[in-house]
Amino acid sequence: MFLNPWSVALCLLSLVVLILLGIASRTAVKVLRHWNPASDSNRQISLENETWLSSTLVQYALGFQLFSLVLFVLAADNFSHVISGAMCAVGSLTANRYGMPALWLKLAGAFLYGLWLVVHHFDISSERYPLLKFKYAALLGLMPLLGADIACQTLYLAGLKPDIITSCCAVVFGEGEGKGGNLMASLPENRTLALFYGLAAVLAVLGHFLFRRRRPSLMWLSGGLWAVFVGLSLAAITSVFSSYVYAMPYHHCPFCLLKPEYGYIGFLIYGALLPAGFFGISAALASLVPAASGLSAVVDRFQRRAVLISCLLLVVFVISVSYHLVLYRLSGGEG
Amino acid sequence: MNGLSRQLNVIDYSLSSLWRRRFKSISVMVVFAAVIFLLASFQMTTKALTQAASRLLVMAPEITIQKMRAGRQEPIPVAYQKQLAGIFGIRRITPRVWGYYFNETHAANLTVIGVDPRLMPLGEKLASAIDTGRLPGDHEVVLGQGAEELLGGNRIISLFRPDLSLKPLTVVGRFRPATDLLTYDTLFLPPDDARDLFLLPPELATDLCVTVANPSEVDTIAKKIAALLPGTRVLTRGQIEKTYHAVFGWRSGFASVCLLTALTSFIIFAWDKASGLTPEERREIGILKIVGWQTADVILLRFWEGVIVALLSFVAGYTLAYVHVAFFDAGLFRPIMLGWSVLHPRLRLSPGVELSDVLLVLCLTVVPYLAATVVPAWRAAIIRADSALN
Repeated sequence: MFLNPWSVALCLLSLVVLILLGIASRTAVKVLRHWNPASDSNRQISLENETWLSSTLVQYALGFQLFSLVLFVLAADNFSHVISGAMCAVGSLTANRYGMPALWLKLAGAFLYGLWLVVHHFDISSERYPLLKFKYAALLGLMPLLGADIACQTLYLAGLKPDIITSCCAVVFGEGEGKGGNLMASLPENRTLALFYGLAAVLAVLGHFLFRRRRPSLMWLSGGLWAVFVGLSLAAITSVFSSYVYAMPYHHCPFCLLKPEYGYIGFLIYGALLPAGFFGISAALASLVPAASGLSAVVDRFQRRAVLISCLLLVVFVISVSYHLVLYRLSGGEG
Repeated sequence: MNGLSRQLNVIDYSLSSLWRRRFKSISVMVVFAAVIFLLASFQMTTKALTQAASRLLVMAPEITIQKMRAGRQEPIPVAYQKQLAGIFGIRRITPRVWGYYFNETHAANLTVIGVDPRLMPLGEKLASAIDTGRLPGDHEVVLGQGAEELLGGNRIISLFRPDLSLKPLTVVGRFRPATDLLTYDTLFLPPDDARDLFLLPPELATDLCVTVANPSEVDTIAKKIAALLPGTRVLTRGQIEKTYHAVFGWRSGFASVCLLTALTSFIIFAWDKASGLTPEERREIGILKIVGWQTADVILLRFWEGVIVALLSFVAGYTLAYVHVAFFDAGLFRPIMLGWSVLHPRLRLSPGVELSDVLLVLCLTVVPYLAATVVPAWRAAIIRADSALN
């Protein structure tokens, strides 16, 4: 189903990201082959200029990728009006086997482009560009991911069949069942909530200590727990929190939160959770920067900020996601 | 806070720089706003029409049964009702007689619908769709807005039967303008009069409308009907609604693809404008470099210029599109969206703007523009101070 404004927009966005990262990776190949900091040849000077272009292009690509993630979910919701059996975005994303993989690839892409920008930030903080070759090798490594993302999205759109009345009635009732269900089975509510709030509290306490003093072992513990927390939060939103927002016990959908009838609360919830997870995990990964690169002061400053940002966003996330649940439990019914 | 004040300073500088080159900036903005206007108008028209269709289809029967022969629809025997008597969950079955009446004087098709409103579950609601007058009795008719204008507003109208004999009908009412999408070209009359007009035998009807007590049973009942009455096509209301969505979505997608050519020309125009640096602009960048600006700062400056131009054009284009759709009923595009009938429904479009619609148009227009200005921005940023000032 390519002839739909949403499909056209998604394809256009992918094409733009592909062109931007394509130009950036051309620079990457040149840098990996010809970079020589000792030289002052014309080629070296133009390569230095080109590194500015490539980093700008990746920044744009990251912005567009985040945009494409939101648009993909909104498009899926819109497609549910034309696909048989689909009630909301879950139905249309599971309408063929490429929908969910495309969504995961987009999420992973946004995370990795962000990580690349962190490495880039470290690299340009030093006049010697110590991480330059690693940075460009990593950029080339991101290209297959982008390819997979675009391939999955294209196959997903190609596989969508709008449900149109035809002259043969058999087609109309060919596939009217299933697909309207939920993404995952219900989790035991009280246990999930205890784990969720317990982990959030542990992360906040860890963040408090790490903000004062960056101990590598604690940093890694915190990074690992953040990864677990993001996964747990996505499961808890789907299985527990979402039905309180919708005030419907059997509607477990992580995507309808983004709709206007629920006050766009999903944008606040995911807009806090995903960056919080990103900074929580990337603060730990930043410890991997070798001490010999002379970047320890920059890395330390980044980690301090990342820990602070992740903790602040954690508070925003926990408040926004718990709002409807607390309201329901306090008022004893729909508020 | 240091980073924020740096951004604010750069935004401040980019605003003043855009103002200094205001003719260039305004020319880009006018063309961009026009492209956004076209795309957004189409988007809003589709959305408003889809919403109007969904709203009106609430009145439609849950299931419609049509008889098919050789792939074409033909009149269905009213006696089929008896065969369906055994299916639990069916509340009522109403035969419906409808078809098109070709008005030779105006070369326009009118839709003739013959149903007994007393047999419809929402029959009493049909009366609320009538603006002036009442539901028709024997030899009486209620007209849609367009049909009334076409037939000259007479109290008694005469229509030709297929054998060219005349059938007189008394006009007793008119449908509300709010239901124009469905009733604009409609003549609503009792089924026996419709049969008489089309010379259809009394044991036949055009289709059968089935109302179902429990909405979640509609699909199951439709399947049972399809199994009991082979050779019929069974349509559910959900199915019709999805088809409306798909058809409007398809048209809108097709239009978006067509408008992409306009967008492409604009992108080339924007690229050209951003690449062609005047000697003054080169001098300006040279001076900025000398006073300590880095390549990244100049790229940032160009980025903010692009964002400001894009957002101003977007607000202008989107607002104009809203005015076009809401106050001028999307006069430019309605013929494409509604089809080629002579009698177009003259409905009032009320586009509901949601965040997702805004994001969609933003993605189709602003993203390609920003992407097109990156490379020219970088080219400008790497100008060496000494070469620019010579």
